[in-house]
Amino acid sequence: MSISHIDGPLALGSGDEGRVRPGGVFARPTTSSGWRSWVTTVDHKKIAIMYGTAAAVFFLIGGIEAILIRLQLAQPNGKLLSADLYNQVYTMHGTTMIFLVVMPLGAAFMNYLLPLQIGARDVAFPRLNALSFWTFLGGGIVLNSAWLLGGGADGGWFMYAPNSGVTFSPTHGIDLWVMGLLITGISSLVGAANLVTTVLNMRAPGMTLFKMPVFTWMSLVTQMLLLFALPVITAALFLLLFDRLFGATFFDVSSGADPLLWEHLFWIFGHPEVYIMILPAFGVVSQIIPVFARKPIFGYPFMVFSGIAIGFMGWGVWAHHMFASGIGPVSVAAFSVSTMFIAVPTGVKILNWMATMWGGKLKFTSPMMYSIGLVTMFTIGGLSGVSHSVAPADTQQTDTYYIVAHFHYVLFGGALFGFIGGLYFWWPKVFGYFLNDKVGKINFWILLVGFNLTFGPMHVLGLQGMPRRTYSYNDGYGFNVWNAVATVGVLVIFVSFCVFAWNIVHSYRVAKRKAKGGKLTAPADPWDGRDLEWMVPSPTPAHNFDVIPTVHSLDEFWHRKYAEGEDGRLVRVAATEDVVQKGDATDVHLPSPSYWPIVLSAGLPFIGWGLIYSLWLCVVGGILVVAALYGWVMEPSTDPAAGHDHDDHPEPTDPSGDAAEAPTDASGEAAPTEEAALVD
Amino acid sequence: MTGRSRTRTAALAALAAGVVLTLSSCAMSLDGDTPQTTLDPQGPKAQTIHNLALPVFIVAGIVFVAVMAGALYVVIRFRAKDDDDFDAFPEQLHGNFKLEIGWTILPAVVLAVIAFFTVSTIFDLARKPDADALTVEVVGQQWWWEYRYDVDGDGEADIITANDLVIPADREISLRIKSNDVIHSWWAPALNGKKDAVPGRIHPLTINAAEPGEYIGQCTEFCGLSHAEMRIKVVALDAADFDAWEQKQLVPFEAPTDEAAKNGFTQFASQCTTCHRITGMTDPTDESGQKLYEYDPVVNQVSGNAPNLTKFMTRTLFAGGKFHLRLETDECKALGEDWAETPEGIEQCLNREDLEAWLRNPPAEKAMYAGDAPSTASRGMPNFNLTEDQIDDLVAFLITLQ
Repeated sequence: MSISHIDGPLALGSGDEGRVRPGGVFARPTTSSGWRSWVTTVDHKKIAIMYGTAAAVFFLIGGIEAILIRLQLAQPNGKLLSADLYNQVYTMHGTTMIFLVVMPLGAAFMNYLLPLQIGARDVAFPRLNALSFWTFLGGGIVLNSAWLLGGGADGGWFMYAPNSGVTFSPTHGIDLWVMGLLITGISSLVGAANLVTTVLNMRAPGMTLFKMPVFTWMSLVTQMLLLFALPVITAALFLLLFDRLFGATFFDVSSGADPLLWEHLFWIFGHPEVYIMILPAFGVVSQIIPVFARKPIFGYPFMVFSGIAIGFMGWGVWAHHMFASGIGPVSVAAFSVSTMFIAVPTGVKILNWMATMWGGKLKFTSPMMYSIGLVTMFTIGGLSGVSHSVAPADTQQTDTYYIVAHFHYVLFGGALFGFIGGLYFWWPKVFGYFLNDKVGKINFWILLVGFNLTFGPMHVLGLQGMPRRTYSYNDGYGFNVWNAVATVGVLVIFVSFCVFAWNIVHSYRVAKRKAKGGKLTAPADPWDGRDLEWMVPSPTPAHNFDVIPTVHSLDEFWHRKYAEGEDGRLVRVAATEDVVQKGDATDVHLPSPSYWPIVLSAGLPFIGWGLIYSLWLCVVGGILVVAALYGWVMEPSTDPAAGHDHDDHPEPTDPSGDAAEAPTDASGEAAPTEEAALVD
Repeated sequence: MTGRSRTRTAALAALAAGVVLTLSSCAMSLDGDTPQTTLDPQGPKAQTIHNLALPVFIVAGIVFVAVMAGALYVVIRFRAKDDDDFDAFPEQLHGNFKLEIGWTILPAVVLAVIAFFTVSTIFDLARKPDADALTVEVVGQQWWWEYRYDVDGDGEADIITANDLVIPADREISLRIKSNDVIHSWWAPALNGKKDAVPGRIHPLTINAAEPGEYIGQCTEFCGLSHAEMRIKVVALDAADFDAWEQKQLVPFEAPTDEAAKNGFTQFASQCTTCHRITGMTDPTDESGQKLYEYDPVVNQVSGNAPNLTKFMTRTLFAGGKFHLRLETDECKALGEDWAETPEGIEQCLNREDLEAWLRNPPAEKAMYAGDAPSTASRGMPNFNLTEDQIDDLVAFLITLQ
């Protein structure tokens, strides 16, 4: 945003005459409403909403795949799906839920909240942020296009070699899987660089790292994990791609390859990946529980350090997915011990959440119930995880339904419960209306029952010897009853999501009626929140903060409303209306929209399809990518038509009275980037 | 009902439901037999695992109950009575350093104890097998298991069989696990944990069945189409019976004399030998019955040949363990591996229906990529469009493989 102040050959200063519209096509778009504004947006909030919406659509697809699995397994020797189709369905279910649902849901929350929680107006690289979203969408489309192009990938989401090679999996499903994940990998990697830069460089004045909310911290650790894990899976995917499409022999045993290479590469990514999925949800409930317990998070430093510890230790446990792979007892012992100890920081978090609630005044709103759901359901998943860490026991448990139970408890009972709670919590901030809380509670109970009915019995099934990734099972093994129960459970889960969807639609209609067709608005701070996102109106104005706040403490917003007396009791020091910002600042400079992220993202799927089917498609994709890159680099940094002389008005001062500490540069442009660079 | 007691009722109901579910699942199976369970070890290796796993489950169970009880207590005890109560802030505790260090160190200590026993068990289970262990080569391929015994120790397999792994009971068996194509995993839970079969590698696994009996398992690493139907059965015999079995397997091939079986023999030699082998099979076109059949050296499947059918009738499974060769009635199971020795045994216990269906159209019975077999790209048995007479003849021939 401050590039316009740099002189030099690249500077196309806003407001300059002459080259106002160089080349015509390179001017920035100006629409601020309608579908075009979404397609060209670089606003982190709009991008977050798009991430969430896309994740919801993919959740529907993944959910249908789950229902098909459960219907097939409802009874022994089911005939609903053939072995071939089942293998595709379960592969696509896992891949979709991990890469196209849980990760983008996390991205939705991180995108929306991170700039707000650190007191910034947007992320460090707004166009790159848009690129992340559209690339993710393109990758998800490429992956799922397999269904229309001869069948889904069928090698399992873990895609072990050599079964994943062309000899054993000749259809294109796996090629499309590889392309889809390479493309979504670009999305996540680029997003990680973006968000790490944002958190490290764009915090509001006074916000040291240890005044950041827990959610921001968990997001920072998540992005660092992504930054280092994605290159590993990218390398593995390239090796597989070259084997499959170009005749390489990286995983060809007859040429001397060791299939365990894939396993190591995949799981070095795969284990940090699961922490990538859960840490944002941990952050979400760390925000929700204090609000509805009327107490700060218990042990903030421990919450932060345990998250960092998980981030580091998560790199040292990957071969616990390989205890039966023949890696030898020394490796098995080492990874067994390291896996046990990663339970320690995770357990600390569970206890800290409980301690936050202890002695508090608990209000069981929907967000709170989902958060308590995460705490309890994740505990179950974590305990079965500890039992897996005992490697000899794991040689009985691995590849059975006991593992399926474990990861669904931590991912569904953990991450998904947390995210749904987050949706109920931040919905008014994002959309300007509330989801009905009573319906939310019904939603919660139905989901809790259905979820436990589905995945609880899988612990038993696994210990009784039912392997996973099997399209059917025989009568006489003792698997019948619990499989039937699990199938009933998934139908109950389906009902709960119907209730959730209805809640969204119905609450919207009710709110629209109340607003008499006008704009939807909600109170800025409906929950008496603690962090900076509650300081702006609901829905959040495009410019976020009228005035970038200066931060003096953790839970800054809270401490502008309340002060703690000597006895730890709270005393209100300001009315909420006086603390929240009005949202009426005008002429705040925001990053301008741009066509090029979506154009660049559109090129990548064509390259992907082209490498599989026809090089002409690669040419088309390549042209789009190159054109987009050129346009991206060459377009003016702000829309000249909206430009005007900066000296006309100084930046409004921060009403907290710290104007002297928030200097603006000579032109009056808000300078949070410069200021934040001086902080910590 | 007031809000407070409604919560209490709901919480107690949830607790009751949880207890019921937990106890009923501890009753484990609600429909009888669980022949593939991991919770009933039948040999010392599996017992060693169980001795470690059970205390860990108990510790985990205690932690589970403690956390759930704690959560239940917290949500009942600290519920805000009403909005006014909610707005009367509680003490704003920020943390308690000693407590946090305590509940970081305590779990670490518990885990360290578990880690100690885990590491010692890992190395115990990994020790080399006894000097008098029987070595069996286990070869996984899509979608069946082959077992090879080098009886005379000359480096060449003398007994090559499939599906049923026959071993002596109460003796360590050193399995050398391999794969001809993709990654599989060999698992008989009653006897030990699983071990992957990785192409290009040999993985050792020691099993030891304490008592004679049949112990079942499955492939447990996704290996493609019919991963779910790549089954395992370990048949443990007492020492004398095992020696008898071994000797029987080494009895040379005898050409059939019966008319139907001779037709089947000719059929087999002309068609089936492109993929199947029978050790010591003679050439049916040779009058003297002495000339050994010369197999084509061409590899007809991606992974190699199909199951060796020597002494086929001494097995209880076929088609990669998907189907029973010997019907699973109590009388037939009591006959053990010798079920087909007598005509009555064959009459009562041969699963003729599934065997004939298999010969009639194998890809319809088990998902395989048979393609235009025989070809080096095929995996599985194709449909040869056999007539019913041909099928009858072939079955008659197979019955002579004793």
